[in-house]
Amino acid sequence: MSDDSHLLPYARRADFKVARANELTGKDRRFYRFLEIVPGVAAWATLIGIVWASIYASFFAAYFVIAFAIYWVLKTIFLSYHVRYNYKRLKHHMELDWGRLIERFKCEDYYHLVIFPYYQEPLEMLDDAMKGLAEAKYDPKKLIVVLAAEERAGKESVDQAYQIEQKYADQFGHFLVTVHPGDVVGEIAGKGSNVHHALHEVRSKIIDPEKIPYKNILTSIFDIDTVIYPDYFSCLMWHFMTAEQPFKSAFQPVPLFTNNLWEASAVSRVMAMSSTFWQMIMQERPDKAATFSSHSVSFQALYEIGYGQANVVSEDSRIYWNLMVANDGNFDVVSLSYPIAMDATAAPTLWGTIKNIYKQHRRWTYGVENWVYLVYHFTKNKNIPLKKRWSVALMQGEGYWSLVTNPIMLFILGWAPIFLGTREFHATVLSYELPIMVRNLLIVAMFGLVVSSIIALSLTPPRPEGYSRFRYVVMALQWIMVPITMIVFSAIPGLDAQTRLMFGRYMGFWVTPKRVQ
Amino acid sequence: MHMPQEPQIVGMSKQRRNFFFWTLVLVFVVLLPTMIFYTTGYRLTFDDDSETTMVTTTGGMYITTANLEVDVYLDEEQIEQPRLFRNAYYIQNIKAGQHRIVVQAPEVHTWVKELPVDSYIVIEAAAFNLPTTPRLRPITQYVNSDGAAVYQSAATTSEIFGTATATEPFVFATTSSVASFTVNPEYEFVETLFGTSTATTTSVFAQFLRDMDRFRFASPEDRIATTSTSTPEVIEQNDVELLSRELELYAVWRGQENNIPFYFCVTNSNATSTKARYGQHVADAVFATSTATSSPIFMIDDQTCRSEIKLDRLRQDVYLFDFFPGTSDLVLLHLENGLYVTEIDDRAWQNTQPLYLGDDFTTIIENDIIYIEENRNFFEIIPEIES
Repeated sequence: MSDDSHLLPYARRADFKVARANELTGKDRRFYRFLEIVPGVAAWATLIGIVWASIYASFFAAYFVIAFAIYWVLKTIFLSYHVRYNYKRLKHHMELDWGRLIERFKCEDYYHLVIFPYYQEPLEMLDDAMKGLAEAKYDPKKLIVVLAAEERAGKESVDQAYQIEQKYADQFGHFLVTVHPGDVVGEIAGKGSNVHHALHEVRSKIIDPEKIPYKNILTSIFDIDTVIYPDYFSCLMWHFMTAEQPFKSAFQPVPLFTNNLWEASAVSRVMAMSSTFWQMIMQERPDKAATFSSHSVSFQALYEIGYGQANVVSEDSRIYWNLMVANDGNFDVVSLSYPIAMDATAAPTLWGTIKNIYKQHRRWTYGVENWVYLVYHFTKNKNIPLKKRWSVALMQGEGYWSLVTNPIMLFILGWAPIFLGTREFHATVLSYELPIMVRNLLIVAMFGLVVSSIIALSLTPPRPEGYSRFRYVVMALQWIMVPITMIVFSAIPGLDAQTRLMFGRYMGFWVTPKRVQ
Repeated sequence: MHMPQEPQIVGMSKQRRNFFFWTLVLVFVVLLPTMIFYTTGYRLTFDDDSETTMVTTTGGMYITTANLEVDVYLDEEQIEQPRLFRNAYYIQNIKAGQHRIVVQAPEVHTWVKELPVDSYIVIEAAAFNLPTTPRLRPITQYVNSDGAAVYQSAATTSEIFGTATATEPFVFATTSSVASFTVNPEYEFVETLFGTSTATTTSVFAQFLRDMDRFRFASPEDRIATTSTSTPEVIEQNDVELLSRELELYAVWRGQENNIPFYFCVTNSNATSTKARYGQHVADAVFATSTATSSPIFMIDDQTCRSEIKLDRLRQDVYLFDFFPGTSDLVLLHLENGLYVTEIDDRAWQNTQPLYLGDDFTTIIENDIIYIEENRNFFEIIPEIES
C-alpha cells in the first residue's frame, strides 16, 4: 500500500486524478460523462442554433449578430488594452537587473529543479536548451537539471540525453537523465507522464539523498524547445520571494515563440504570436489564468498532490487545476511578465506546417477536458468557496465555448440571416443594413490587429543574415490572415477536440514537431 | 544610478481592470439599442428651422443596374453613396412616401420609376438602360484577312449604319472577286437560321384572330374544337412564362408562391392605396381581377401578389416576343416599328426602350444572341454598352 500521508487531504481521493469518465463508476461516471458531452453540445447547439434562427427567426438572429459584432469590437479593445499594458511591463522587466533585485533575499538556500521532457527532438534543440541554462545569470550550482527521455522514442533518442549529460553535467549543481518506461498501465504516453516519472526519479535520486527541503526547491517544467532568458531564475526568485503565498502559487512566464521565427512561415508566425498575445493578456488577468506550457511551481506543492497527472493530454494546465482543487481553491497564478523563448511550429513544407499547427492547437484546445475535471471536483470539494467555483467554472466554460464558436459566428454565420432569412426579413432595412454594420464593426475591430502587428514586430528577434528586409513588411502584413487562422487553427480544431470528447473518442498526446531538420 | 528595489510597472490592478471592463459594458449597453434602432431604419434628424432633434423612421431602395457606368438620382438628387455590390445601389435614409428614381447615363435610354417607400422596408427595382444608338455586329458572307466583315456594296449598309453603330470594323470590297476573302461560317449558320425559321413578320395574334373569325361563322358543335386549336405560344424561363392570350401578352409566375418576384406583389392592400402607390392598372390587376381563376391572388406575409402581369406592347401588333437574353424580368418585343425591350415590373409604369427601330426586318433569338436580317444583311444586336 502506497504511503499518501504527504498528500493534501483532497488529493488522497481515489478520483482526484481522474482523466476520463470510464475511470469512475456509478453516478460519478455518469456525471463525468455528462460533463464531457456538455462543451461539444454547447458549441454545436450554438452554431446550429444560429443557422436555425437565421431561417426561422431571422430578426432575432440579426439582432444577435449585431450584439455579437459589438461585443467582438469591445472585446478586441479590452484585449488589446491588456496586451499593450503587459507589453510595457514585459519590456520593463526585461530591462531590470533581477540579480540585483534579489540580493536582499536569502536565495542561497533555494534550488531550481529544471525538468526538460523530450521525445524525439533533435540533439541541437536539447543543446540549445542547456546552453540557455548555462548562460543564465544565476548560480549554476543551484540548478538541478533533469533531462527526461522517453524509452519509446528509441535508443538513439535516449542516448542524446547522455551526450548532453556528458557535455553539461559538470556545469550545474546536479544533472540527471531519466528514462520514462514505455508502457506503464494507467498512463497516456506524453509529456505529463514523462514529467511525472522524472519528478519521482529526481526526488529519490537527488533531492532526498541530498536532503534538500522540498520547500526550498522551485520546479520549472520546460518544453524542450525552451531557451530561457538570462535573468529568468532571478526574476522567478524575486516573484517567489514577494508572492503573497509562494507555496500556493504557480509562476507563469510569457512564452515567446521566437527561436525560429525568421525561418517559420507566415501562418506559423501569426499563430505563434497569437498564442504569445493570449498569454500576455492572461498575465494581466492572473486570477483568471491557469498555467500553460513552460512554468514553475514549488516542489513542495507538487509533492503534496503527488506530482499531478500522468494520464491527461493537457498536462500543463491540468497541474494547476490539480493544485487549485487540492488546495481548496487557494492556489494562485503569479505572472512573471518575463519571457522564455520557444519554437514556433514548423515543418519542411507549408502543408506540413499547417497540419502540425492544426494538430498542436487541437491538443491545446483539448484542454476542455480540464473544464470537465474542475467542474466535477467543484461539485465534490465544498471547501472551495461557492462564488469561486461558479466564477471559475463559468469563466473557463465561456472561454472554451467562445474559442470554438466566436470566429465561426463572426466570419461565417454572421451573414447567415442575409442568405437564409425569410422573405419578410429580406424586404427590411435591417436585412440590408446588417452586412454594412457588421462589416464596419469588423473594420473597427481590425484596429486590434494593427496593435498586434506593431507589438509583434517589436518582439521579433534581430534579422539574421540572409533574410531580406522585405520580410519585415511581410511580418507586418501577415496579420490580415487572422480571420482565417482564427477559424482554421482555433475554431475548427477546438470543435474537433470538443466533438471527440463529446463522443468519448479520447485523444492521446501528440508531440508537436517544431524545428525543421 | 539608483537601482529600484521593485519593478516600477506592476501588474494591472483589479480595480483598473474592473473599471475598464464595466466601462466597456456600459458602452455595450448604450451601443446595442442604438445600433439596432439604426439598422432597423430609425434616424436622428436635426431640423435647422425649429432647432429641434427628432427621431424619424426611414426605408430604403435597392436598385440593380445592368450597366455599370450609370448615375442614379432619387427625387432629382444624385446618389453619391457607394454601391453595395458592383451592379447594385442601396439607397438609405429615405422617408416614407412616393419617390422617383432615375437611372441614366450618356448614350443610353433613361430608366425612370416612381415607387412607394415604407418605413423599415426596402423596395427593390431592376433598372435597364439600352443604348440610344443601336449597336450592330455585322455578319457578312466573307471576311478579309484581318477578320473584318466585307460588304460588296456601300449602298446596302449606308442606310443601316446611318442610324446604328457597328461594334466591329467592316470594309467594302473594291472588286467583285472574293478570292482574297475567307468564307464566314457564322454567316452560313445565320442564313440557315433565317431560312428555316418560322419567325416572320406575322402577328403573334394571327392565330387568335383566325380563331375568332372561325368562331364567328362556326356552328355551336365546332366551337370547342375551334377554340382549342388556339393554344397560345408559351415561353418559360426561371418559372416565369410569357404567353399571348387573346390580344395581349402576359408574364405569368409559375413557380412557388414564396419565390415570386417582388414586382408581382403590392403592400398596403386596398384598392385606393394601391392605386396611389403603384397606379390604377396595378390596382385593377390586383383588385378587379382578384376573383378571376386564371389570375389568382394570394398573400405572402403582408403582401398581396398576383400571378400575372400584362405587358405593354405600345398598342402595336407583336411579331415576336421572348425573354431578353440573360434575363427573366425583361421581355424582347418585335413590334410594328421595331424591336423593343420592356420590363415585366409594371409598378407605376413599364419602362419600354427601343433596341432597334425599323419596319422591314426580321428577328431571331438563338443561344441568347439576337440576330436580325434587314435587306439580306445579317447582324447581331449588341445590347450592352462596353464599360
